[in-house]
Amino acid sequence: MKFLPFIWRQLSRNKLRTALTAGAIGLAVSLVCILLTMPAGMDALLTQVASNTRIVVHNEAGLVYPLPYSYLQKIRSQPGVVSAASWTWFGGVFREEKGVEFPNFAIEPEPIGSVWADWKIEPQQLEEFRRYRDGAIVGRGTLNKNGWKIGDLVTLKGTVYPVDLAFRIVGEIPNERSPIFLFQREYLDQALRAGGRGGLDILGTVWLRVDDPARVAPLMSQIDEMFRNSEAVTASETEKSYFANFFSMLQGFVTVILIVTGLVALCIVFIAANTASMAVRERIGEIAVLKALGFSRRLIFTTLLSEAVLLSTLGGVLGVLGALALTQLLRAGSGWNPALGPLGSFIVTQAILVQGLFLALFVGMLSGVVPALGAARRSVAETLREVL
Amino acid sequence: MLPIRYALGNLAARRTRTLLTVAVIALVVVATTLFGSLVSSLRRTLVGTGNERNLIVLRKGATNDGSSVIPLEAFQSLRFFDGVARDAAGNPLASPELVVQPFFRTAGGGRENVLVRGVEAVALQVHDEVAIVEGRMFHPSSGEAIVGSGVAGRYVGAKVGDTLDFGRGHWRVVGRFDSNGSSFESEVWVDVRELAADAKRSIPYSGLRIRAAEGADMDALARRINDDPRYALDASPEPAYYEKQAESANALYFIVVGLAVLAGIGAIFGATNTLYAAVQSRRAEIGTLRALGFSRTAIVVSFLIESLVIAFGGFAIGATLAALLGRLVSWWLGGIAFGAATFTTNVIQLRVGASDLANALALALVIGLVGGIAPAARAARMRPIEALRRA
Repeated sequence: MKFLPFIWRQLSRNKLRTALTAGAIGLAVSLVCILLTMPAGMDALLTQVASNTRIVVHNEAGLVYPLPYSYLQKIRSQPGVVSAASWTWFGGVFREEKGVEFPNFAIEPEPIGSVWADWKIEPQQLEEFRRYRDGAIVGRGTLNKNGWKIGDLVTLKGTVYPVDLAFRIVGEIPNERSPIFLFQREYLDQALRAGGRGGLDILGTVWLRVDDPARVAPLMSQIDEMFRNSEAVTASETEKSYFANFFSMLQGFVTVILIVTGLVALCIVFIAANTASMAVRERIGEIAVLKALGFSRRLIFTTLLSEAVLLSTLGGVLGVLGALALTQLLRAGSGWNPALGPLGSFIVTQAILVQGLFLALFVGMLSGVVPALGAARRSVAETLREVL
Repeated sequence: MLPIRYALGNLAARRTRTLLTVAVIALVVVATTLFGSLVSSLRRTLVGTGNERNLIVLRKGATNDGSSVIPLEAFQSLRFFDGVARDAAGNPLASPELVVQPFFRTAGGGRENVLVRGVEAVALQVHDEVAIVEGRMFHPSSGEAIVGSGVAGRYVGAKVGDTLDFGRGHWRVVGRFDSNGSSFESEVWVDVRELAADAKRSIPYSGLRIRAAEGADMDALARRINDDPRYALDASPEPAYYEKQAESANALYFIVVGLAVLAGIGAIFGATNTLYAAVQSRRAEIGTLRALGFSRTAIVVSFLIESLVIAFGGFAIGATLAALLGRLVSWWLGGIAFGAATFTTNVIQLRVGASDLANALALALVIGLVGGIAPAARAARMRPIEALRRA
């Protein structure tokens, strides 16, 4: 520790080079941190949001292929099903020129509280949602983005169905990242009937809660078996696999991003190694003098290595702070985006910060060890002869 | 003048240093080229789709052709409007189309929404950027399909000659088409009537594409369609439509561009630093050269040649690696997919193009220039005696 001022003085000998190297390492570390938020966002979504007792049933052919509404009753009556609700895509637009800005679905109001108990919607708000036919429950993400609050009136223009519906927001899903907008199925059904088009006899997906995680797998095959030869073949999935599939196409992007991250990390190792070897080469004469004065090899090795580690750690700290600031900015600017999915959540977890710092530390070690070892090993007489 | 051999000989003499510097620049080139080609492929898909002589006709209020329906009568009357182009046989170039988004299975066992477009033979004339590159066009009512190149490599059964399962039926793939990297390459085309039957749609069309005749006033044609009181329709030029569809992917685009810029700056920083340090450590040599009577310019030029050779070497290695890696990644992942506003999958290939290479070359040379010229000039400006003493 008492050599710390000595190491620090060595670093400030060539301020420009130290600054450039620390800057390059910092930039690279922050880049790596930001890139790592993308796969981390994907994982976080899948492990935190998805419940292991929730199943989603949809048409095997695709999400735009509907299922008959009668399927909901049949699924509900299966043993082991605690409660079930259906979602039907309304595709309502708030600002016509913007298109669908948040996903909005028609749903039965009664089972929400039990199918999505983990959402922790206030019971009183659920009660209001049940009571008012034009009520809507909206994720906090969409509320914040549009500056809406509970009690506001909102009109959505249908793009799938030729009706416009006026809603009163009666509750919120208390999750900053939830974009969804849910309203009563019966409201849409009646609006369609009023327009002389017949009621709503289809549904998009059925969500159900199972009483025991062990029953999930048998129940899924049981449901699919039940509809195997009916008018619409179903596919059941756990919520986790449903979301994973939804975003599986982004896997390619994540892979490319990880490859580039790896390259950038490799790049900084080289850069830092170069700087370290430069620093040693410049000081060969001095080091020989230090040795001649009686400083041990071990000490010389340690101080040189510490210098490299200190430099890259400084860069790493800078980089981590930069990544934190940048992701805050990015997060403020991004909302629900079907193209981006969970990649746009930009959450820098502590694990990512620690990884960034460790990367910097590792780079420092790796870059410093060879030149430091070389300098410590060189014989004094030889060096002095060469230099003087 | 210092002989060129001096500059080149120096590179050989400091082999480790030269290789290290070349490696750093090569890595920088690989990273920026890969990012760059991702950006340019994205751009091609996002803004390159659509023909400016084409109108897309949707139901009023529909934001994309997935949420639109067009009655048969509307198509029958619109295609004979004035200003609609006709082919040699006199048939109007109006393409009735239906889109659905069924699941396709990826080789890895996942599923993705793919845009399937029901068309008639006229579609190939209206979308003239689409060209069949393998096999042939499908025959109507025979359960045949043609696939975009982006789809062919990514999904189970999507190769020419295979059988593709989607929707409720099985489709024989008889052809593969390209469209200069635009988003049609991420689609599958089948007979519109067969698709309507498979999707159980009572109204067979979701949108029309109309080619305006040469010299015809497109705005007038669009106005006439929009103002027709019989059908509530909305016509807009294709490029404007696709630009709007691309908006949701803009965020992705900006993120990739932002990351590329960040990576580029960091890399230039590091590579310049490396080169800078390499020249700076040779102050004594520069002093000696000055003492021998070489002019400052001669010394700077010689050092510059050295750095440019290093930079170019880095570029050559890096570009080769990037091109190989791009192909490898595209092949391994079956293309890089991203979602579009309609929840369908767009597939792009990571192909390193000429413009990406030109950018990387420019970057490498700038690194060489800045990293070589500045320290050499500084050292050459010093008095020889000083440079020698301080070494």
